[in-house]
Amino acid sequence: MEKVSLFIPCIVDLFLPEIGEATVHLLRRVGVDPLYHEAQTCCGQPAMNAGYREQAKRAAKHFIDLFGDDDVIVSPSGSCVYMVKHHYPQLLRDDPVWLRRAEELSGRIFELSQYIVDILGVEEVGASFEGTVTYHESCHILRGLGVSDQPKRLIRRAEGVEFVPLPLADMCCGFGGEFAETYDYISEEMVKEKVESYLESGADLLVLCEPGCLLNIDGYLSRNHPEKKALHIAAFLAGTGRGG
Amino acid sequence: MEIRTTLFNEIAGKEIRNTYARAFLKAMPAAIAARREAVMSSFPDPDAAQACGQAIRAEVVARLPELLEQFEQNAVARGAKVLWARDAHEANGIVLAIARERKAPYVTKGKSMVTEEMGLNDVLVEEGIEPFETDLGEFIAQQLKRPPFHIVGPAINIPVEEVCDLFMEKAGMEEPTTDPVELGYAARLFLRNKFHHVALGVTGVNMAVAETGTIVNLENEGNIRFNKSSPRTQVSIMSIEKVVPTMADAMHLTRLLSRNCTGQAISAYVSMDSGPKGGGEIDGPEELFIIIVDNGRSEIYADPTARQALRCIRCGGCLNLCPVYAKIGGYPYGWAYSGPMGQVLTPLLLGLDRAQDLYRACTLCGSCREVCPAGIDHPSLFLYYRAKDVEGDRRLRGKRRPWKEFGFFDLWSRAVAHSTLWNLGVRLVRPFVNRYSRGGVITTMGKYFEGWFRTRNLPAIAEKTFHERWKRLRRDTVSGDPDGRRGEP
Repeated sequence: MEKVSLFIPCIVDLFLPEIGEATVHLLRRVGVDPLYHEAQTCCGQPAMNAGYREQAKRAAKHFIDLFGDDDVIVSPSGSCVYMVKHHYPQLLRDDPVWLRRAEELSGRIFELSQYIVDILGVEEVGASFEGTVTYHESCHILRGLGVSDQPKRLIRRAEGVEFVPLPLADMCCGFGGEFAETYDYISEEMVKEKVESYLESGADLLVLCEPGCLLNIDGYLSRNHPEKKALHIAAFLAGTGRGG
Repeated sequence: MEIRTTLFNEIAGKEIRNTYARAFLKAMPAAIAARREAVMSSFPDPDAAQACGQAIRAEVVARLPELLEQFEQNAVARGAKVLWARDAHEANGIVLAIARERKAPYVTKGKSMVTEEMGLNDVLVEEGIEPFETDLGEFIAQQLKRPPFHIVGPAINIPVEEVCDLFMEKAGMEEPTTDPVELGYAARLFLRNKFHHVALGVTGVNMAVAETGTIVNLENEGNIRFNKSSPRTQVSIMSIEKVVPTMADAMHLTRLLSRNCTGQAISAYVSMDSGPKGGGEIDGPEELFIIIVDNGRSEIYADPTARQALRCIRCGGCLNLCPVYAKIGGYPYGWAYSGPMGQVLTPLLLGLDRAQDLYRACTLCGSCREVCPAGIDHPSLFLYYRAKDVEGDRRLRGKRRPWKEFGFFDLWSRAVAHSTLWNLGVRLVRPFVNRYSRGGVITTMGKYFEGWFRTRNLPAIAEKTFHERWKRLRRDTVSGDPDGRRGEP
């Protein structure tokens, strides 16, 4: 039996643990009982993005030590998967031993919807939702991992769902980690436009796969359009209703 | 040209409220993307065509010194005079000397970003030689004393009413009009007269073909062709990375540049000069000078990672799709190059210390990378610049960051590697953050994260993190509830 290991990013751990729980429930429902390394912390993305490479390297080495023996790693965050897959080998390129470990790992880590559809070959996960649903294409998931069709298939297969397109779905929502705080006046305009697209789509619900985008979009909705919701795909599919 | 890269936030803060420009910028990405996609599909395999362009530009950067020498030899063999300038000062000096020797009272110019970078117009004006920009948009921007808003449409953000007033005042237009065609005609009359008597024309270069010594220009207005064919003396100025190995390469890049830039299969005019007018020929300048400008690029070339910035062919495809550019327009980038192109080039050319915001005001969304026909990985370069800035890299002139930030990340990285410390940190931070929580939602944290909370809420840190919930979750399956639904409503 393959060892499927759960990687719960720090944002989910702290602010959105319901997404982590929904991920566990969902995986169990499709026949995978994931293990969870309790010593996991953060993938290092904040340090990497801020230019602190030595500090990001410490996170990378900790991660590789912890997850190095797992057959498959699954995470409900595309940007963190991208960090591990793409940036770890870059960060560790001057150290042949660590580089090899990073490269080996990069082929075994998957974003949640990608894992369910591409690896397990499952699209019907027993989800249901009465209403129209649209999907936001998070940058790191779409352009970083090339994942776009997988989550949409899972959404479409949910019972009772009518999928409607989101205008400018692949336009960045303006999160960008520290960017949202430092360049607040730009970030605000970006998230505002994203939400306008959501309203324009007429959908009852916006689903996405990236916790960062979720904090941003749902944070904006909660302040300005409290009647509308954004939901992480794990919570949507598991039917737990929370996770956004 | 005044360098205003350190005023990024000030200018962007103002421009983001410019409703006229915003309306235009909002419509642009979708319109351009649609045109681009339609015209890219005329390639049998669009992805292969992009990959081929990327390979050409990679080859250029790999063989740059050798290609430049080959270009010089072949251009000289065809009668051009090739001059090398180490920096903007030297390059301006060469143009000035050529203009003075020929007693040119004024020069006409084709749109050229490297001359913007050199500040050539200011130098010419100081020396009493008037430069006339002849690209319509650049002409407007020059008269308004503004930097280019967009590499292809330097004045695309200027309302016609403003152009009308400007032309009445400075281009001899007699009757006011807001008809774009009439305005274009007024500029044409004014500039045709300048071309008629011009002694010296200055242009940029899109591609310099090493195997033939040919310079290639792409344009849509015909003004560059006028600049090259009307005067006795032609001065074409290129930065070192404009060279390409073969004519076939130049033609492929012509296809890609037109498609990525304006969504055209080919620009309205493509002109090639291999040397000045030869014996028996009736057209062309009597003398052709090609000035090859380094201006800091050799230093960039010496850095194997930063070097890829020299792949850029200035198509502007990255600007057209950048979500940040679409909010703030071209002015905040503070210099000759705006959008992701400027974010890649300017910090290298001016130093990381003078362009801090350019490589930070980015969400790393990757739209620019996806569209780039030269194969530049913009987000990775921005991350590299940030790292070099944190390190205080001497070659790229990193500035280092505030000690508080460094302290934070250092502490963070120690916790990240030791989960006990990390979880202790979580338990310490939680009550501090959740003091601000009302019913699980935080709407403000006082002086902390003011930027975030201006328009957004944040969930409180969970009373039980996922980590703290795991023991119960794990038990659920052990006790035979694989669906994990027990206990849920």
